[in-house]
Amino acid sequence: MNDGAKGGNWTVDPVTVEVIGNAISSIAEEMGETLIRASYSTNIKERRDCSTVLFDAQGRTLYQAEHIPIHLGSLMGVVEAILERFPADQIREGDVFIGNDAYTGGGTHLPDIVLASPIYHEGALAGWATNLAHHADFVDRGHDHIYQEGLRIPPIRLQRAGELQQDVLDLILLNCQVPRERLNDLRAQLAANRFGIQRFQALCARYGTDFLNRVFDELLDYAERRMRAGIAEIPDGTYEFEDSFDADELDEALNFRLRLTVRGDEMDLNFIDIPPQVRAGLNLVETALLATAYYAVKTVVDPSAPPNAGLFRPITVSAPYGSILNSAPPGAVNGRTNTCQRVVDLVHGALAQAVPERLVAACNGAVTSATFTGTNPRTGEFYVYLETLGGGFGARASKDGLDGVQVHVTNTSNLPVEGLEPEYPLIVERYELVRDSGGPGQWRGGMGIRRQIRAIDHQCRMFIYGTREESAPWGLFGGLEGGRYRLERDPGVAPLVSGVGELAPGQSVAVVTPGAGGYGPPERRDQALVRRDLAEDRISPETARRAYGIEYGEESDVAAKAGR
Amino acid sequence: MSTWRVGVDSGGTFTDVCLLEEESGRLAVWKVPSTPDDPSVAISGGAREALDRFAGDSALVVFFGHGTTVATNALIQRRGARIGLITSEGFRDLLEIGRQRRPDLYDLQADKPETLVPRDRRLEVPERILHDGAVLARPTPEAIQAAARHLAAMGVDALAICFLYSFRDPTHERLVAEIAAQQLGDTFVTCSHAVCPEFREFERLSTTVVNAFLGPVIKGYLSQLAPRLADAGIRVEPHITQSNGGTITFETASELPVRTVLSGPSTGVIGALETARAAGIENIITFDMGGTSTDVSLVEAGRPRTTTEAEVHGYPLKVPMIDIHTVGAGGGSIADVDAGGLLKVGPRSAGAAPGPVCYGLGNEEPTVTDANVVMQVLNPRELLGGRMPIERGKAVGAIGYLAGRLGLDINESAAGIIRVVTASMARAIRVISVQRGHDPRDYCLVAFGGAGPLHASRLARELEIPKVLVPRNPGILCALGLLLTDLRHDLSVTRRLRLDEGAQGEAHEAFASLRGDAEAWFEREGVAAERRRLVASADMRYAGQNYELNVPLPELAGEAQLLDALRSGFEAAHQRLYGYTAPEEPIEVMTFRIEAYGLVDKPKLGAAPDAGPDAAGARIGEREVYLPELKDFVACPVYDRERLAAGNRIEGPAVVEQMDSTTLVLPGQSATVDPHLNLVLEFGEGA
Repeated sequence: MNDGAKGGNWTVDPVTVEVIGNAISSIAEEMGETLIRASYSTNIKERRDCSTVLFDAQGRTLYQAEHIPIHLGSLMGVVEAILERFPADQIREGDVFIGNDAYTGGGTHLPDIVLASPIYHEGALAGWATNLAHHADFVDRGHDHIYQEGLRIPPIRLQRAGELQQDVLDLILLNCQVPRERLNDLRAQLAANRFGIQRFQALCARYGTDFLNRVFDELLDYAERRMRAGIAEIPDGTYEFEDSFDADELDEALNFRLRLTVRGDEMDLNFIDIPPQVRAGLNLVETALLATAYYAVKTVVDPSAPPNAGLFRPITVSAPYGSILNSAPPGAVNGRTNTCQRVVDLVHGALAQAVPERLVAACNGAVTSATFTGTNPRTGEFYVYLETLGGGFGARASKDGLDGVQVHVTNTSNLPVEGLEPEYPLIVERYELVRDSGGPGQWRGGMGIRRQIRAIDHQCRMFIYGTREESAPWGLFGGLEGGRYRLERDPGVAPLVSGVGELAPGQSVAVVTPGAGGYGPPERRDQALVRRDLAEDRISPETARRAYGIEYGEESDVAAKAGR
Repeated sequence: MSTWRVGVDSGGTFTDVCLLEEESGRLAVWKVPSTPDDPSVAISGGAREALDRFAGDSALVVFFGHGTTVATNALIQRRGARIGLITSEGFRDLLEIGRQRRPDLYDLQADKPETLVPRDRRLEVPERILHDGAVLARPTPEAIQAAARHLAAMGVDALAICFLYSFRDPTHERLVAEIAAQQLGDTFVTCSHAVCPEFREFERLSTTVVNAFLGPVIKGYLSQLAPRLADAGIRVEPHITQSNGGTITFETASELPVRTVLSGPSTGVIGALETARAAGIENIITFDMGGTSTDVSLVEAGRPRTTTEAEVHGYPLKVPMIDIHTVGAGGGSIADVDAGGLLKVGPRSAGAAPGPVCYGLGNEEPTVTDANVVMQVLNPRELLGGRMPIERGKAVGAIGYLAGRLGLDINESAAGIIRVVTASMARAIRVISVQRGHDPRDYCLVAFGGAGPLHASRLARELEIPKVLVPRNPGILCALGLLLTDLRHDLSVTRRLRLDEGAQGEAHEAFASLRGDAEAWFEREGVAAERRRLVASADMRYAGQNYELNVPLPELAGEAQLLDALRSGFEAAHQRLYGYTAPEEPIEVMTFRIEAYGLVDKPKLGAAPDAGPDAAGARIGEREVYLPELKDFVACPVYDRERLAAGNRIEGPAVVEQMDSTTLVLPGQSATVDPHLNLVLEFGEGA
């Protein structure tokens, strides 16, 4: 393939590096399985909104179990933050640190609670087992600044030398709206780290920590080499791209601009003319920006490079401090992922000019989230049901985009209807793909999703956040834009204000997520594919005619209506 | 007249026939080329040939068992039925959306597995039941007829029906099936409540659709095979293995073909389990390494671990299957250096043709087999008992090129390929052991498949597994397994139930109802009363969790003790898996299960007399084998497996050759031949 090996100045033979690298990744993945299986909140257990990472003693990422890319940012600074607060000689075996603060606690928004456990071997710090879980809590809060968004927890000890700090736990639980779930989720998080510690210690016993540290250096160097080799294949140059970001919480859409420079085997991402941070939960802290940028570059440069700290090295990222993409305290950050998705769109838009065959048209560009809360009339208890909805995935250079999936910085599952309805006083009326939401093109963009929820026997508060309501996901090279985000309210349901609204008993709302852009001019699309899309009711006869120039005639029978 | 049991394992290249004479325990093996266009030709012909050759005219076949890859191949090649689907209103796209996750986190070009029913054949009828059984909308006959007419016009040959909460109330699904069947003639019709009456709608839907996809294929296949077997003189009711390791009649398999997708690999597990059991070993990890992939699974106390949450070829299937973990690496896997300079093995494979470089059939990329040939663990001149000439020079050339890119010498590079393969196998075994709360050191590794015995010792050392068992015929273990398999039918029902005082009656009743269904199945299959066995279990969790732990109930406790047995079983399982319990938290049952077994007599495999430890009579030579442990080529004795007798003992390093496999005994390890002629490898003190 190429002679990358010659660039490697191995101090440990490459086979051993591969073998130990395998062991490290399997530990992180097993921690993730433990966490998902033992946890309580739907958000973790069904939607897998959590991540597990092993760090070396210095806090360098060794491996992240692949769940949610944005979490790479959440966990990125956590060990450093702990080591800044606590000298190494004050940290003991059996300590477990808890934190969530976006500015000091290693998180990127407050619901992501991080647990970090130092791992000791023969009395010395050998590494860290960490995990992060998105707790569905801190709901119905304000988002003018971070103090409104929930309890801020800097990295502090939840467990000290093996002993649970009940007073710390009590303080946290009192600040949560669903404390029983929180407690049991934290138990699952503790179990995941315990597992990671045991397995990591077994590795230390077998290889010795000095040797392992040399292998860790090699693993990071290896990821770096992979990234550099990939960047070097991209033509040198400066590529600019601009996109617009809208949200219900903003008075008007904001413009973001990126100047991306490829020089040899390095890449610089300079976000310029970025608006100041906003009084809404849409700001990114620096680690969130970095995680997003690294994600976006990795998808284009080398999707299978190992997710460790080495892959960051050839990439520099900058955005003005105090801007929405690099906010200063006390900027609110709760709904940051919608902003992150636009950052990915910028990176992909810029790189599409350099390596068009590797890129996709704009994906749905949102992490559309819908949270429903209220008092469950069946139990008398307060509930929180949070869901994020997928949408279209952009068309590719040689094939259509994916319909109805999570894109980019998130990849959470949905909650099964048969798991949701017994637990919450809600009914899911429809869950379907949205006709005409896939951007036309030689290759069609993916379709958005419609999910309709009805409140049963209670007054329900809802918090629905999305983007791409004004600007649609763009197409590439002549491909047209995809469908936009919108809400479909029952008659009598008042418009939402900054994403907040109410449903009376029996009322429903449908969330319609954006589709994705097409790739290449629609007139080049194979007519058989247009007819198939028409027969399958993915496009309307009107779109067939207008976008593709195909008269439908007899083929217009809309199959799905037959049974209704 | 002698009575015989016949097992036939039909694979891609060969069809293996295994015969067993019940009275004497005599075993005979016959191999014929497969006939992929119509596998039934080789199956019936091979069985007849074998019977003629070994059993003679007067033989009476009392059992015929069959393992097949027809279902799994149809799924891999997407060659199945033209399906129509009817769902609850608002949910026709669920099949496509699934769990809404994309197939790969970073790869922008990744695709989801093809949806088996295109959108224009997915119809909705006005229908909705709620979680408590309340009916919001009942489908009208007019709507059902319209949908059925529409699908009939589209020429479907299978119909899948899946409504929300059908596990709680199947009335609507039944109604649609009944009315649609009138419109659709002899179309294959399948309902989700019959295929898997459990919660989580997408997984149930996916399973139902795969069942429909396979329905006409399996039905057609079995209807060809049955008369051919009759013509071949096999009059006994033939059986087929399911993914759970038990067998069912052709009739049941025709209704629930989705239960046969792992028919082949599951039979290997049963063969391994019974072989080990005969040797007095109940806790094993099976290691089945072939040319392109490797299957591993865990058996505790003689029971294979089963799961109901597997994904097969990209499709979630919620049917009971042996928890088999597959890795895309085998003897034919290709080794390469990636962009960052690391050695990678697989998932690309040289397959059977052109095969490894050393076959000299045109492949130039080095494989795992080439590494073994370079190290001379494998015979450097010929394999398959002389049928396959080997060109070691070509393998040396290919690995030499790789070595240059790695900056290692040739032998280290070959050894490196083996280490990387061993590490990925070890990782697979951790998934099915450590990750499920089992310590591999408590298990015996049973190695089979062409390449299993070759890599087993190093794998065992990596995982600190003390003992390895290599069966007498590692290449035909699947066919042997067929002779040893019980009839089995798994029944389940989702009933969400909190474990408190009032739950006793309902829990008891749920089991009683499943037991009634099991008895009815026993009647249909004609299982005699003394051969019936039931194993009960429940999927449980803390109310609030969403992943259940399957808790076996050793005995179906009486009503009074039932709740205590459930509670203590759950707490023990939770403690073992997660390291804690939450005593103040309520526990709930989600799904009740019963496994119904129709026990077959396990033939007594003949035991050979002890011939003493001296293995000199089986020694056929000596060759230099590269042992990375000693960083050099070392002269190793080579033994012929055919000539090894019970009681013989070999000290490593040594190589044992047989027609379809090679076993490596490491330095510090010893190999003993047991009375059933299995090879048992153990590490000595200090190894």
